[in-house]
Amino acid sequence: MQEDVFSSYNPITNFIFFMGAIVMTMFFMHPVFALCSLVCALVFYFTLKRTKGFKSLKFSIPLLVILTVINPLFNTQGKHIIFKIFGRPYTIESLLYGLTLALVVVAVFYWFGCFNVVLTSDKFIYLFGRITPSISLILSMIFRLIPDFQRKTTQIYNARASIGMAGDSSSSKKEKIRNGAVILGTLTSWALENGIMAADSMRSRGYGSGRRTSFAIYKFDVRNIILILAFVFFGGLTVVCAAMGGTEAEFTPSLNMAWFGNIWTITGIIVYAVYLILPTLLNVKEAITWHVLRSRI
Amino acid sequence: MACFEIKDLTFHYPAAPGKAALDNINLTINQGEYITVCGKSGSGKTTLLKHFKTVLTPAGQRTGSILLDGVPLEDVDLKTQSSQVGYVMQNPDSQIVTDKVWHELAFGLENLGVDQNIIRLRVAEMASYFGIQNWFHREVSELSGGQKQLLNLAAIMAMHPSVIILDEPTSQLDPIAAADFLNTVRKINLELGTTIIITEHRLEDILHASDRVIVMDKGRVLGVDTPLNIGKVLYENENPMFSAMPAPVQVYYNSPDACRAASEGKCPLTVREGRTWLTKVFEDKEPQQTLPDEPSLDPSAENALEIKDLYFRYTRETPDVLKGTTLAVPKGTVYAVVGGNGTGKSTMLRSICRILTPYRGSVKIFGKKTDKYTSAELFKNNLAMLPQDPQSLFAKTTVAEDLAEMLGPEISARIEKDIETKGFENTELDPEILDVAALCQITDLLKSHPADLSGGEQQRAALAKVLLTNPRLLLLDEPTKGMDSIFKLSFAQILSDLKARGTTIVMVSHDVEFCARYADMVGMFFDGNIIASDTPRRFFSRNSFYTTAANRMGRHIFPDAVTADDLIYLLK
Repeated sequence: MQEDVFSSYNPITNFIFFMGAIVMTMFFMHPVFALCSLVCALVFYFTLKRTKGFKSLKFSIPLLVILTVINPLFNTQGKHIIFKIFGRPYTIESLLYGLTLALVVVAVFYWFGCFNVVLTSDKFIYLFGRITPSISLILSMIFRLIPDFQRKTTQIYNARASIGMAGDSSSSKKEKIRNGAVILGTLTSWALENGIMAADSMRSRGYGSGRRTSFAIYKFDVRNIILILAFVFFGGLTVVCAAMGGTEAEFTPSLNMAWFGNIWTITGIIVYAVYLILPTLLNVKEAITWHVLRSRI
Repeated sequence: MACFEIKDLTFHYPAAPGKAALDNINLTINQGEYITVCGKSGSGKTTLLKHFKTVLTPAGQRTGSILLDGVPLEDVDLKTQSSQVGYVMQNPDSQIVTDKVWHELAFGLENLGVDQNIIRLRVAEMASYFGIQNWFHREVSELSGGQKQLLNLAAIMAMHPSVIILDEPTSQLDPIAAADFLNTVRKINLELGTTIIITEHRLEDILHASDRVIVMDKGRVLGVDTPLNIGKVLYENENPMFSAMPAPVQVYYNSPDACRAASEGKCPLTVREGRTWLTKVFEDKEPQQTLPDEPSLDPSAENALEIKDLYFRYTRETPDVLKGTTLAVPKGTVYAVVGGNGTGKSTMLRSICRILTPYRGSVKIFGKKTDKYTSAELFKNNLAMLPQDPQSLFAKTTVAEDLAEMLGPEISARIEKDIETKGFENTELDPEILDVAALCQITDLLKSHPADLSGGEQQRAALAKVLLTNPRLLLLDEPTKGMDSIFKLSFAQILSDLKARGTTIVMVSHDVEFCARYADMVGMFFDGNIIASDTPRRFFSRNSFYTTAANRMGRHIFPDAVTADDLIYLLK
């Protein structure tokens, strides 16, 4: 898989972008802004995940539909009634509100999906380990232990299965619980012993011999500063537009929202879209650069 | 210059005040030396190694002194000790602290409070020197055992130590990864002049590289000598460690004086030297002896295990691991499957045990397909497997309780209660437990905690547990991994006792020497298939690389000799 360009930036840059994108998405309860965020999130998500990303649609499309149609069942306000259900009105206003809400939820879900791909565990540690070096070490050790525990659990289960001690589909609930408890016991004694050895290994490499430093492989260079400035510029403009009422939207009792006639809405949408699409643009730029370079050869 | 100096060191563990774990040790280790420490388990090797670092030194009663570069070790501050003396342990997994390769390399330097830029340089340097740059960004959990151990070594080297202590570093690795690791250790010693102090089971890989060998027995230093002479010390003392010596050394000391004269008093240490020596011995005479015939297998015996065209893959996208594997094992034989790492040997065993489900093909046990058995039938009196990691099988606080678990919940509960209320001595153990304990030579260990046993003892205790299902077909996954040569002898004894009871044994192993000696049939696993299957002598004499050291050493004169014992017999 081709490496994502945005991922190669400093974790701080990554973090600033995602915080901006997620917070703005959650605050702008306006159908156009929400749609804009979702589209940008989807584009970035699919550049990161490629075809593997399609699996998520199986989950997100039903979520979008359900959240949309469910809202009018609870919120019956609004002038335009489509039909009545259980004797309660089902209104267009409420349906539109449900759609906006659903778009926001699914967009945030996709932004978090991107966040997970870009901010890998080591970047996460770099970000939060800056508070104190010991936190970064603890986080790193936890991320090390989780796969280790999973591997060991399978190993113990298989070992017991191959002498017929792991039960099968016919075993009773009581037996299953007992088998689970035995595996947990074995896992615990393994973990304790492992812990002793890890402690030995840490002390023998000077852990606790004095003040620690925290090493990271990330650089903070000019391109990071430029990108952060771009985020601040476009993000700031979006916030200004929102403050001027560009994102205002009232759904009930009657529809009343800033629309394309409003200068703040138009500007807001444009700068918001630029902000959100920047990471994808970096990838596009890189692809073009490579294409040009290759055609020169 | 002396790097380490040990004077009159005596040490008692608090649990055994009457028995010295280290008894009056006097040693001088010089800067840049490569020292091999050998001795059977429990001889005090690890205890001695742990005394080279104060943070690892066990608690107990100690007299005598240890000097590092002339300064008593306890006066050397922690930072200096941590960077000067590196320690690599047995288990590659549990030594790794962090989740990323690059972070692990930097871990020691972080602890010493080294500046970011210096860490960056040192880490880069180490990654290049050890060839780690290709997996520099990887998660530790994705690495193979060999890569993990190499990472442990590199992480220590980043601190620029003057001594590295290695406690059986390759016991959990396959032979190729082990040889790779030991070559790197040798390279560090030669190119950087780092002092190496190492204990190992696989003496054939390190003996020729060592400057001196220390033999330990019952906490005492039995002898310190060059590799050339150490064989003699062991042979004359009839020390059981002699069986751990490389095949050329074993053959040399067990051959008649007339043969030994040909090498002019120099004991051959490597296959090459052994070959030259044998060539000289037979320069002007013809070999007189021939080997007695191998015991022939009963061709009419029914098959205990029959695998036909087995296909398996782990996920839909990945390639097949088993590609039409076919195998038939007659009742009452010991069948060994050898082959490289990751070829699918263990996958085959797991498919037989129904842990994995092949998508095509069939497995028959005693003439009946495994999927026709219920789980209770299959694993009672029929089939059982000893996993690679015996510790996975232990769930209780004593070996006896662990064995009792196999006899059903009622017996298990009774024995557990008795041990708790009446004490171990007054608990009546079922005859089945005592029988199997005697067979596996663990009667003395029944009241120990499973985690307190040594690797070889754990293996036997786990085997006892497996045997309580009374299997007619026993599968063993890498049974000799991490076992020293003395444990291997007793393990082989157990296998032959089992065979005498009519148990069929199928084992997969990297241990070519062990298979050559104790198996009735050997098969080679390659590319998802068993491609050659024959008696050990015919099998190994046909291969030229994938064969035993003894065979490689003597094949130009005795093509069918595959074990050191064969060669010794032929030289008589």
